Amino acid sequence: MTRPVDKLIIILSWISGIMLLGAISSIIGYLLIKGIGAIKLSLIFGETNPFDALLLKKQVFDGIFPAIAGTFSLVILSVGFAVPVGLASGIYLSEYAGPKIKKVFNFFFDILAGIPSIVIGLFGFSMAVFLHKHLSQYIFPCLLISSLCLAFLVLPYIVRTTQVSLENIPEQIRLTALALGATKLQNIFYVLIPKSLSGIVSGVILSIGRCAEDTAVIMLTGVVATAGVPKSILSHYEALPFYIYYISSQYSNTEELLSGYGASIILLAICSFFFFIAFLVRNRLKYHAFYRM
Amino acid sequence: MIKIKITRLNFSYNDHYVLKDITAEFQENSITAIVGPSGTGKSTLLMTLNRLWEGIPNARMNGKVEIRFAGTLYDIYDRYYSLPELRKLVGMVFQTPNPLPMSIYRNIAFPLKLAGHKKKDDISDRVEQALKDVYLWGDVKDRLSENALGLSGGQQQRLCMARALILEPDILLLDEPTSSLDTKAGGVIEDLLQIIKGRCTILVVSHYLDQVKRIADTVMELSNGAFIKGEA
Repeated sequence: MTRPVDKLIIILSWISGIMLLGAISSIIGYLLIKGIGAIKLSLIFGETNPFDALLLKKQVFDGIFPAIAGTFSLVILSVGFAVPVGLASGIYLSEYAGPKIKKVFNFFFDILAGIPSIVIGLFGFSMAVFLHKHLSQYIFPCLLISSLCLAFLVLPYIVRTTQVSLENIPEQIRLTALALGATKLQNIFYVLIPKSLSGIVSGVILSIGRCAEDTAVIMLTGVVATAGVPKSILSHYEALPFYIYYISSQYSNTEELLSGYGASIILLAICSFFFFIAFLVRNRLKYHAFYRM
Repeated sequence: MIKIKITRLNFSYNDHYVLKDITAEFQENSITAIVGPSGTGKSTLLMTLNRLWEGIPNARMNGKVEIRFAGTLYDIYDRYYSLPELRKLVGMVFQTPNPLPMSIYRNIAFPLKLAGHKKKDDISDRVEQALKDVYLWGDVKDRLSENALGLSGGQQQRLCMARALILEPDILLLDEPTSSLDTKAGGVIEDLLQIIKGRCTILVVSHYLDQVKRIADTVMELSNGAFIKGEA
């Protein structure tokens, strides 16, 4: 027979879950209702022919295609920088670091996780100015600086999820491969990492979401309102979060506001696409590690 | 011929001595049962023979452990001795079946992969032979790509034995291999041990005196961290 306190906790848990689902559904529902009508080829490509735009034969001036390209580039670069470093740091902290070093590193990673994104943006801007002055006049706030700053921002997520996932593997699984003659490195790559993939991918998904939506960092490190498709990693670029920000604060008619809603739906779709890729990669890696004959 | 020689072995966890001044010899191609009350260091003694205790914090050992490989006695605690190579020659089966979260095929083939074997046909043949040796081939030949965790307890334990035996170790350490199995499954394991003792030296920790009487050539009893008697 369930005690009254247990019943209350169950009820509160259900209410929390339903509230969370309700909030997500409300946001997505509101966006869809407001913005679905704005999702047209003209929103993305303006008056430019879509094929010419996709093949980069012609520039798009009044559509969000450059912002979409910029967001894709930003997420790929940032996650590309953050994942190897974060993964390696997480493995080091879990498998190699002694207790004292672990404490020190965890302390610094906690501080890094708590730094506001605008401060990281300021750091990135300062770094760009410094490099421009002392290294090369061709360096200024650009896609590369933004990507590095975003990688800095999301590093703690990947480090912590990797570390915790590895540390939570039962001792018996750790000893099994060692007892079969595995070296420490073989144990990590053939057993421990594949076993922790779900946790690691959760960290990567959090990072993708953060890189795709953060505006404070990119505002100070290279994003502009009109730059076209990024020509190189050292160029200015456009991005969807910035487009949504300036359109929603400076719209002059309803159509422009609706295009902001449309851009929000497209940003969500881009994030969903990256999440799907992350799940695909996880499943593929797990299959290769554990099931391929 | 002496296969394993232990000289004045002491072992402690957090300064609490579990094994005290152990000196013993184990004969080649025989089954030695190690018996004694719980907490007397039987499992720890097995782990000193493949150095699996070394990942445990605050564990300390001193003494000498020598094992004969290819006719020569080696001090396995010599700092130049390769741990992975030692563990390929000294296989271990744990008390609780511990298949890795992989397919049945990958579980058995895993030690070969660790040892650097690459030829698929060769690996396939050896996996099949290992499963036949433990009387598991008939049960699993049509579902080798399925997760090993889906097997019954007895099947999992036999899978773990096949995995330990695929590299043809010189020594097999078994820590209460039938404690989590029913009588029938346990009987299969005991029969297997009789067959494979011709190929390797077996040390088995057991609480079951009936089992010990059935399978062991030698019995050694541990009490308070020391051997108090050994008999044929």
